[in-house]
Amino acid sequence: MRNRRTEGTKRAKIVVLAVLLLTPVLNADSITISTVQNVTDLLFRRVTTADDQDSSLSFILDKNLGRFSLFTSGNYSYLLENSRENFFTQDLGLDYLHSFGNKTALYISVLGNGTFYKSEYSDFNSISLSAFTSVKSYISQTSILKSSYSFIYRNYEASLLDYWSHDFLLSLDKYFVTGTTAKAEVCWGYKHFMNLPQEKEDDFQNGGAPFSGKNGNNEQQNQGHLESPELVHGKGRGIQFFSVSSLLTQSLGSKIGLNFSIMRQWILSGNNPFTAVRDFYKIENPFYDRFSWEGYHIEGQVTMLMPWLIELETGYEYSDKRFPGIESMSLMENPLGLTRKDRRVEVDVSLQKNWARISIFLSYAYILNHSNDPYFDWSGHFFSVGFKWNQPLGGGR
Amino acid sequence: MKHRVIFLAGLFLLTTFSIGQKSRHIYNVNSERTIAGTIRKISTEPRYRNSAPFVVLKLEEKGTHTIYNIEVSPVWFYDMNFHKGEELEVVGSFYLSDRKEPNLMAREIRFKGKVFLLRDKHGFPNWRGGRRQRKGRRHGKNMKEQ
Repeated sequence: MRNRRTEGTKRAKIVVLAVLLLTPVLNADSITISTVQNVTDLLFRRVTTADDQDSSLSFILDKNLGRFSLFTSGNYSYLLENSRENFFTQDLGLDYLHSFGNKTALYISVLGNGTFYKSEYSDFNSISLSAFTSVKSYISQTSILKSSYSFIYRNYEASLLDYWSHDFLLSLDKYFVTGTTAKAEVCWGYKHFMNLPQEKEDDFQNGGAPFSGKNGNNEQQNQGHLESPELVHGKGRGIQFFSVSSLLTQSLGSKIGLNFSIMRQWILSGNNPFTAVRDFYKIENPFYDRFSWEGYHIEGQVTMLMPWLIELETGYEYSDKRFPGIESMSLMENPLGLTRKDRRVEVDVSLQKNWARISIFLSYAYILNHSNDPYFDWSGHFFSVGFKWNQPLGGGR
Repeated sequence: MKHRVIFLAGLFLLTTFSIGQKSRHIYNVNSERTIAGTIRKISTEPRYRNSAPFVVLKLEEKGTHTIYNIEVSPVWFYDMNFHKGEELEVVGSFYLSDRKEPNLMAREIRFKGKVFLLRDKHGFPNWRGGRRQRKGRRHGKNMKEQ
C-alpha cells in the first residue's frame, strides 16, 4: 500500500515538475532571478546548536493576460552541512483583479505548489492548491474595509498530514490627520486533517502510521523517518481558531514609518493531533502553524529611508503561545504533565537598496525562545544577504 | 493523482492564449520628475483596454499646490493602503491629459519609509507576478520562519 503511494507520488512529481517548468516559458513577459545566502548557528529549532549555511536560487516568470496575471516561481535550497535536507519548490499561479465602481476592487488568486525534499523530510513532500479572494473597499477617502477568504488543500507524501483549511478575515482601518492609521482585524479559521484514524490504536494495528519518535538526541535522529511526527490522538480532525488584532501606523513624512500591532488568538475547538518534530525552518510545520497555538503576539517596527534611498527596517516581536494537545517532555522524553508553552522574543534589522533592475539586501535576526519543553528552549542568530535581478522579456509602456 | 493532472493541465491551457493589451501613453524616461505632496483623492480607473483597473491618486504638490493624477498600478492596490491626507514622494513620467491636466505614470513611490518600485527606469512594469512578487519584504525571516 505504502509502495504504491510512493510510486504514485513520484509520477506526480515528474508531471508537476515538467508542466510547471515548461508552461510559462512559452511567452513570459519578465523574469526575476534571485539568490540568497543564509547563515545560522541554529538550523533546527531545538536546544542543541547546528551551524549551517543555506544557499537558495530562485526565479519568477510572469505573463500578463489582460486582467489576469500568470506567474510561476521556483526555488532550490542547498544546505552546506545538511545536504540531505535540500529541497525544491515550484509554484504556478494566476491573479485576477476587477473593480466595482471607483471605490471597490476584487482580487482573486489561485496557486498550485509542489514542495520536494531530498530525503530526510520526504514525509513533508507535498502538492497543494490554494485560492485567495479579497474585496477591498474605500468606505471613505480615509477608511478602508477589507474582507478576504483563503482556502488551502495540501496533499503530503505522509498522508496522515493531508489537510484542507479555510479562513476568513475582516479588517477596517481609519487614517487620522495626525498621520496615524488605526486598524482592527478579526480572523476565523478552520483546518481539517483528512486522513486521521478514529483512534491511535487503529492506525498502528493497520500498519498505516509511518511515524515514530520525537525528540531523541542520538545520531539516528538524522535518518529515515525518525524526524517525523507522532500521532498522539486520532480524535478531533478539525481545529478552529479565532483572533482579534489591532494595528497602529504612524508616518513621519514619507521617509519614516512606525508600526505597532497586537494580536490575541484562541483555539475554539480541536487540538493538534501530532507531537512536535525537530523543527526545521523550511518545512511548513503543521505543529507550529496558525492552527496549533493560542495566546498573543506583539510586534513593533520602524522603517526609514536613509541617504541614497537605502531602506532600513528594524523590528521587535514578542509572542506568548500555548499549544493545546502538545505535552511537554523532559530531555529524556518523560512527560512533564504540562501543555507546551513558548515565550519568544525576536529582534531583527535589515538594509535594502534597489536599483532599476537590481536589488540587494542584508539582514540579521536574533530569536530567543523560552519553552517549558526543554528541548525547545533555544536561541539563535540568523544572517542573510541577497541579490535580485529583474529582466523584462516583453514590451513595457 | 488524476485530480492533480487535471488541475495542472487546466493551468497549462490557460497559458496558451492571451489577450492583447493596448496603452494610451508610453512611459517616457525623458519626462521624468519627482513630486512630493499630499494625497487628496484615491480612486480606481480603467486606464488601459483589457487591463485590470489602476489605482489613481490625486496628489497635491508641496509648495505649488498643483494637483497631479498619479497612475500607480493595478495589483499594488492590495498591498499599499493609501488614505487621503497621507504624504508621499513619486518619481514618474509626466504628461498632460486631453484635458490638459498634469499626470504622472509612477515608477517609484516613497511611502512610510519604504521605496516601492513599480517600473524600472525604462518604464517596464514591475507589478506583474501577483502577490508572490511582493512577499517577504522582511528578508531576515528567510531563515527564521517556520
